[in-house]
Amino acid sequence: MTRPSEVKPREGDQPGTPYEVFEIGAELPDMAFSITPQINTEYLEAIDEQEKNYSLNGRKVCAPNVLSVYLLAVLYRRYPPIQGIVVYDQLWKWRSPIFADETTDLIASGKVTEKFEKRGRKWLRFSAQFRKTDGTIVAEANHTLHLPE
Amino acid sequence: MLEKKIEMTQAIIDQYGVINGDNDTIHYDDELAKSRGFRGTLAHGLNVMGYAAGLAAQMYGDRWFAEGELYTKWIAPVCPGDQLVVTMDDDGTIEGRVAQGTTMIGYARLVNS
Repeated sequence: MTRPSEVKPREGDQPGTPYEVFEIGAELPDMAFSITPQINTEYLEAIDEQEKNYSLNGRKVCAPNVLSVYLLAVLYRRYPPIQGIVVYDQLWKWRSPIFADETTDLIASGKVTEKFEKRGRKWLRFSAQFRKTDGTIVAEANHTLHLPE
Repeated sequence: MLEKKIEMTQAIIDQYGVINGDNDTIHYDDELAKSRGFRGTLAHGLNVMGYAAGLAAQMYGDRWFAEGELYTKWIAPVCPGDQLVVTMDDDGTIEGRVAQGTTMIGYARLVNS
């Protein structure tokens, strides 16, 4: 089991990354982690969902959005976070189910795709891909953040 | 239309923070959040997104898990004490609202269909 806190640098634990340091096109290196039934259960409880509502052909399946608690870790492992980052938007595409009756080993990686200043604010976009160890793509995501001054 | 109502509390924010593994004080320090111009601490945007994702899973069933696409944009905060109402129209249009107005918009749909 990999808790997000085990792979995600936390705000304040080390010097955060100012806007100027982010590089467009920078690769966000592979991050290996495991989704377990326990993580899925805890996530469902946090978003007020019931496990019984998640099944596929009679087999328990994870909420695909359980991956969302790992997404920022993909960015933060290369660029440790400063305090006050605010999420702006997010696009997810689920491509393969994660079953909830077993442990699934995953690898996530990504890329910084854009940074820009608009309306006096600083913005950052990155993409991420989550895949199984056999290469099967599980999900893809794009995320835009507002970075504080 | 599908709908989910949540009475946002600091306990909910804290619970999400445990699984999310963050330490961003804007979610936990009421005084700090107010000093930055917010009404209070902020619920995690991804927590609010999770409510919409739950509605999408309900709407689209089995196909959601390998063909689903979810877009959410957060346009205003959700704070403790807010009653959050997240809706999903039959066409997949998502909206989150609190008393002050719309907090989140987006859509859920199936692709490869």
